[in-house]
Amino acid sequence: MSEKNKSVQEKLADLSELVTWFQNPAFKLEDAVTKFKQAEVLAEEIEKDLTKIKNDIKVVKRKFDTDNE
Amino acid sequence: MENVQLTVSDFISLVNQTLEYAYPTACVVGEVSEFRVSQGKWVTFKLKDDGGVVDCFMALSMLRVQIEDGMKIMVIAVPRINTKWGKFSLTIRSIKPVGEGSIKKGFELLKSKLEAEGLFALERKRPLPRVPVRAAVITSTESAAYADFCKIINERWGGMEVEVAHTQVQGDPAPDQIIRAIKYFNSQETLADVLVIVRGGGSAEDLMTFNDELLVREIASSRIPTLVGVGHEVDHTLADMAADRRAATPTNAAEILVPDKREIIRAAKQQATSLAFQLAQSIDTYISQTGDQLDTAYRRIRERLDDTFERLGALRVAIAQVNPDTVLQRGYAMVRGDVRKGASIEVETYDTFITAEVKDVRKK
Repeated sequence: MSEKNKSVQEKLADLSELVTWFQNPAFKLEDAVTKFKQAEVLAEEIEKDLTKIKNDIKVVKRKFDTDNE
Repeated sequence: MENVQLTVSDFISLVNQTLEYAYPTACVVGEVSEFRVSQGKWVTFKLKDDGGVVDCFMALSMLRVQIEDGMKIMVIAVPRINTKWGKFSLTIRSIKPVGEGSIKKGFELLKSKLEAEGLFALERKRPLPRVPVRAAVITSTESAAYADFCKIINERWGGMEVEVAHTQVQGDPAPDQIIRAIKYFNSQETLADVLVIVRGGGSAEDLMTFNDELLVREIASSRIPTLVGVGHEVDHTLADMAADRRAATPTNAAEILVPDKREIIRAAKQQATSLAFQLAQSIDTYISQTGDQLDTAYRRIRERLDDTFERLGALRVAIAQVNPDTVLQRGYAMVRGDVRKGASIEVETYDTFITAEVKDVRKK
């Protein structure tokens, strides 16, 4: 569920899915503890990722003065 | 020159060459009158002031702002004499409204035209992704607005790829540069999730770039959803209106572009905590349901036992009724032995055993 190579967006989606599962008729108490632990791990990973990862800002080398460049 | 004979055509060519040498382009300011569009292709009008008037001519496709009679404009034009008609005119290359009134008028005219075409219609607006992975930005990288924009997105979010196209954001070349940048991003193999155009505050004249008809149309036709943040809160440009989303300022554009990671972290933790609460609640419900079931089972067992005890009591009473001791207690006696004359028999009463001899036996 929460592999290290997943993006923050994917982890957010996974967390939402878990929240939805808890509200679904498919909810089973037997599985709930495992799912809750997964949610806790995801929340921690999301915090770590967002604190650590930086944006990658690059300025395009191309000039826009003329059509031909 | 008096002795040189020239044909009319040669003379006009000579004058045009002289004009071209003296004034390759001229910048002229005046008031528009007799504005006309003919055959849906050509624009003609007169440019005048208190002391003079000059004819102007241009292709309709080059008209990037809307003008009408009475507006004060500045034209960049090539002066020449038309060979066929012999009339002096300015062939217009570009037009810019001059003065607050004319700028406003030009803005309103173009706004009405584009609005009628549905360029600003709400149903055309596409939603921006909540968390973009790739963003394309068009701005002047030398501006304070760009520095603010970068500062805010870096404070708020991480892990996003941002490609920035540096263009002028004011002056005559700006609209075409921005249009080229929009085309550039829209022609990439992998499209960005959102296209952001930002520029800081400025005078109405500075912001006129963002009221250029071709630029506004390019924004409206972008394949990538657009977010435009130009000027201050109070500034409204046609580029804003054509964009999928308007930001009040470049800083606001950064805030719209990415969510605040502190809020996302808080929300993620809250979600996990809410699951703990739900889990505890589910366990409580489970325990309560199990307790209820046990209570029901206990109550049923108790009922069955009570029922059984009741039946047992009734049986006890019935059995007591037929107990020989009870009969003896009432004064009766039991006789055992061979009942014939002279034989010995045993008589049992409630509290004695008596041995007796049979004296006589008679039929009743």
